[in-house]
Amino acid sequence: MTSALLSVRDLRASYPGPAGPVQVVHGVDLDLARGEKLALVGESGSGKSVTARAILRLDTDATLSGRVELDGADLLTLPPRRMRAVRGARIGLVFQDPLAALNPVMTIGWQITQPLVIRGVPKKAARRRGVELLARLGVRDAERRFDDYPHQFSGGMRQRVVIAIAVIADPDLLIADEPTTSLDVRVQARVLELLHELTDERDMAVLLITHDLGIVAGFADRAVVMRHGRAVETGPVDDIYRSPRHEYTRALLAAVPRIGGDHTRPLVTIKEGGQ
Amino acid sequence: MTRRIMAVDRIALAVAALMVALAVVGPLLAPHDPYAVDLADALQGPSAAHWFGTDVNGRDVLSRILYGAQVTLPATVIVIAAATLIGTLVGTVAALGGKALDEVLMRITDIGLSLPSIILALGLAAALGSGLRSAVVALALTWWPGYARLVRTLVREVKDAEYVDAARTLGVSRARLVFRHILPNALNSLYVQTTLDVSAVMLVISGLSFVGVGAQVPSAEWGAMIAAAANNLTNGWWAVAFPGLAIMLTAVAFNLVGDWLRVRNDPTIREGVR
Amino acid sequence: MGRFLLRRLVTSVVVLAGLAVVTFLMTQVLPGDPARAAAGRNATAEQVAEVRVRLGLDQSLPDQFTGYLGRLLHGDLGTSVFTQRPVLDDVAAMLPASVELVLAAMAINIAVAVPLGVYAAYRRGRAADVAARLITLLGAAVPVFWLGLMLQLVFAAQLRLLPLTGQLAFGQEVPKITGMISLDALLSGNWAAFGDALLHLVLPAVTLAAAFVAVVARTVRSSVITTLDSDYITLARSTGASELRVVVRHGLRNALVPASTILGMQLGWMLGSTVLVEAIFGRTGIGAYAVTAVLQNDLYAVIGTVLVIGVVFVVMNVLVDLVQLWLNPRLRQAGSRERRPEIAVRA
Ligand SMILES: Nc1ncnc2c1ncn2[C@@H]1O[C@H](COP(=O)(O)OP(=O)(O)O)[C@@H](O)[C@H]1O
Ligand SMILES: [Mg+2]
Repeated sequence: MTSALLSVRDLRASYPGPAGPVQVVHGVDLDLARGEKLALVGESGSGKSVTARAILRLDTDATLSGRVELDGADLLTLPPRRMRAVRGARIGLVFQDPLAALNPVMTIGWQITQPLVIRGVPKKAARRRGVELLARLGVRDAERRFDDYPHQFSGGMRQRVVIAIAVIADPDLLIADEPTTSLDVRVQARVLELLHELTDERDMAVLLITHDLGIVAGFADRAVVMRHGRAVETGPVDDIYRSPRHEYTRALLAAVPRIGGDHTRPLVTIKEGGQ
Repeated sequence: MTRRIMAVDRIALAVAALMVALAVVGPLLAPHDPYAVDLADALQGPSAAHWFGTDVNGRDVLSRILYGAQVTLPATVIVIAAATLIGTLVGTVAALGGKALDEVLMRITDIGLSLPSIILALGLAAALGSGLRSAVVALALTWWPGYARLVRTLVREVKDAEYVDAARTLGVSRARLVFRHILPNALNSLYVQTTLDVSAVMLVISGLSFVGVGAQVPSAEWGAMIAAAANNLTNGWWAVAFPGLAIMLTAVAFNLVGDWLRVRNDPTIREGVR
Repeated sequence: MGRFLLRRLVTSVVVLAGLAVVTFLMTQVLPGDPARAAAGRNATAEQVAEVRVRLGLDQSLPDQFTGYLGRLLHGDLGTSVFTQRPVLDDVAAMLPASVELVLAAMAINIAVAVPLGVYAAYRRGRAADVAARLITLLGAAVPVFWLGLMLQLVFAAQLRLLPLTGQLAFGQEVPKITGMISLDALLSGNWAAFGDALLHLVLPAVTLAAAFVAVVARTVRSSVITTLDSDYITLARSTGASELRVVVRHGLRNALVPASTILGMQLGWMLGSTVLVEAIFGRTGIGAYAVTAVLQNDLYAVIGTVLVIGVVFVVMNVLVDLVQLWLNPRLRQAGSRERRPEIAVRA
């Protein structure tokens, strides 16, 4: 493991509720090295998305505490202007539901090039890079489709657009929040594979958020298991598969559909599993 | 914020109730005869004897406003009642009467909804001859399409509900089904819209009176009072200002009550978007 | 796209036909003899008889309607008994001044309501939001004509900041090009007259706009709230866009789809409300013309104004649809079943 890229310590998040603030994340620790792939696993409602948005300070109504260090600088205390420089350019975020995440009244090209345009890249150059990226992500006829609107794409294609927005400014870290959950089963594996290849090529670290331990195996090196807003288990994916220490992790593993029920060897191997 | 708005709602409810009460007992409270002309006492500013001053004919403005509530508010209620009745009839028939009838009735309501009601009412009132009665009839005839649309939507929602199906399978007669099962449930929330419409209708009625097609000259209708006092705006502003404030206060109160009913009626808008 | 527009155009034609029926009925419900009403109070018996034949009042009702419709289609709205001129000529002469007033009011409406709604949504639940709610509450409750008089009292009579009535100061001359005085002053390069015409527009335009600001601000507020809560706004923020850019470039267009519908309809309603405003400020225009016509029992002149405002309203509806097509790409898709939002707001 090289130097730490992201280091999260005792992250807590609360939101205003009808009867005072409600805490939903109760102290999460994470470490991510440059180029590393880490999975954040937990059942729905365990606070994974809140953690992701807290790292980027995206919720204007959330109260955050703890430390979120990116290359040693604490993001939680960064002034807004410098925080904006982190978003998109240092850390990219892929959303769960690509239909909701894309602006219905703007062309996908406009949306993909925004992270570059707001950083002063000329429109032409931004467009060229956007088209290239989209083509790399397997969108056929990328040049022509660049001026289409989100509703003209299928779910899988929309998610490629969302991924393009997240990576176009070449961040060091990509947070992918359930990137395949809302997709058709047939395209899930393909999208995951693309994510893997793309981030390998660009030497990007990935924080893959999922409730499905089954997709973690071929993708991530280490995993953090979350429950009720707390990290309950951390370790190499293989160890977690072979000898889960926490009872909750065992329950999660039991929920993974697999042939044979052998927990010692991950059956869903992304690279081979293909389309 | 929430608490502040709830306090506002309570005040609004109180003011709306007060205005309705005034419409009933106002004349008993009036310190003077609202029609007593006293030219020697004309255009006196607000004083202990005349809290809201006197108009160009020396009539007490406060007394006229109190009497005026008995003109404006009942006229508003009649318009809304009549429009609700027509709208409910048309909307129910459209919702239950089959596709062709629905299409025809909805195109007719389109026509009504696609014109500014003040203009349509002005034309109708002119055709019927000036007078408060014409204004009320004209406005009722232009106001119902909104209710027809609403009732149609509500009835369509209810008619396929489980309890209606249950009643249907029990062999309940069609008339009973409509009047005992469908309508009471569908119209449950109609009162919210009618309350919200009180201020709008009141504004149009007073507007029609102001331009001269509604209530006529000696009447203490609020819009007509403003029209009569407008010529002496600079030397008798109080005769313009106070009737207008009466309209505004009543309208604000009914709008707040309507908003409150709407929120109470629809739990989904209690938080956030309002 | 074609189907969406076609459906709207069919509706427009139906509404226009309905308008013809309604106005025809107006000529029928008049108590007394319609021929006498059309000929005017001082007409001789021969004149009344002549009018009866000319308007076909001696024919059956369906024949009368066919005749009425035919005259409408030829632009014959009858003759005003008051001005003794064809109603269409009168209305055409009056319309530009009203359009000028309506456009000025609409400019004020947009300039006030859109920022107010956006700001209130952005500061939801805080003091600014409460203040905005108060403004919209008062705006929805104020009688237009009374507001006009009060503004006159304060800003013209007391403070003497703005002219009390009229469209142009005595002594200013503007050639008649479009009929909109401020525009004509501009076109003829008469800056003094242009400024003066604008000053004369301020109070009536503010008066006319007041009631409409409330509805627009409320609509903008709630649609901005819906928009700001959506994922694509969070995504925009996650790319590093500034808050201003997030709200304006990513959010406003979505948020304005409902508002644009209402703004378009309001142009028609505003034209209707000139009835309550123009006379107070001594302006000529279609609203003042309608009021005079009503008071003179000039039925055909009244009906003419109703018809013209109705037609303007229908045309505005079609324009609203075109704006919707531009704002909302989903509508452009062939065979789209999406409808524009129904609105139940009346002014
Ligand atoms: N903006 C918010 N305001 C208040 N509570 C929230 C908000 N976002 C999430 N929560 C709550 O935080 C908890 C964790 O949610 P989330 O992080 O979305 O779970 P998941 O692990 O499925 O991504 C849930 O109980 C949710 O209701
Ligand atoms: Mg989640």
